[in-house]
Amino acid sequence: MKNPFSSRVDYKALDDTELVALAKEDMDAFGELYERYLQKIYSYVFYRTGNAHDAEDLTAKVFFRALSHIGAYVDKGVPFQAWLYRIAHNLVANWHRDQGRRKIIALDEYVAHSLKSEAPDRLTEEREEQSQLLQAVRRLPEDRQQLILLKFVEQMSNAEIGAIMGRTEGAIKSLYHRTLLALREEMEMLQNSDLNRSEG
Amino acid sequence: MQDLLDAITTGLQNGDRVDSAIAQSDLPQEDADDFVEMIQALQSALTPQEPREAFAADLRAELKKGESSFLERLRGMPARVHVAAFLAICFGFVLFALRRLFGSETPQEMQEEAVVTPL
Repeated sequence: MKNPFSSRVDYKALDDTELVALAKEDMDAFGELYERYLQKIYSYVFYRTGNAHDAEDLTAKVFFRALSHIGAYVDKGVPFQAWLYRIAHNLVANWHRDQGRRKIIALDEYVAHSLKSEAPDRLTEEREEQSQLLQAVRRLPEDRQQLILLKFVEQMSNAEIGAIMGRTEGAIKSLYHRTLLALREEMEMLQNSDLNRSEG
Repeated sequence: MQDLLDAITTGLQNGDRVDSAIAQSDLPQEDADDFVEMIQALQSALTPQEPREAFAADLRAELKKGESSFLERLRGMPARVHVAAFLAICFGFVLFALRRLFGSETPQEMQEEAVVTPL
């Protein structure tokens, strides 16, 4: 996969569609796509798996699969980004199936890591709340977790999320509403169970 | 309600004030406060994660290396290429089998051989 003109192409100036067309024959074009999406895909997979080790493993699989299938990729209105997230989503779903369980413990790893540099006294409560919130997110059905991550981690619009999840903007808005209600209930349950534990 | 939650989320993500949107809605203030608090908590808990630099560099190198493999490239090609490759392999196999079965002589050579062979 070599392009004799690759040194003359300014890949950063190209949009995804142009890069995908080149990437079928040009590894440097695929390299630019990799640079654009590595962090996004890693973040998504990290929150879905809950630990860095599996996130790295699955992220590598996502890009290897994308590379091996990019020759057959046809733009049928689904942007490259959505195609990549769908690969990630399918691999994460397989991973969860293989695991046979949801790794909730791993979330503490993230919370501890994200707050370790801050003063422990002031942040103990905040750390617990974040941990609870992330646990509540992980208890949501798969599609709702996906929606929350795309909206908050990737800051995507409803249209972009709809393209990835294969739904309309209206359906995404409605799912988001139901997800927040479910999350609120879940948080209340977690807080009540904590309260009962501390009283008992 | 779903439009309001969507507007509150977008407003908070953009750093805008959302009080007026809430005030114009029918949502009780207590519920609105709950949702705003939860959305803010999601915002601060779910931040983008950076992969390790070593991992990013290694993966990039592996992708470059992996792509040069013929099988990887073949796997990524369209289905019609797979079908053509499969047919070519089948045709080659049949040709090879026929030559093994009937030998490599031309029909003329076979006829000459039949003439000199005593019955």
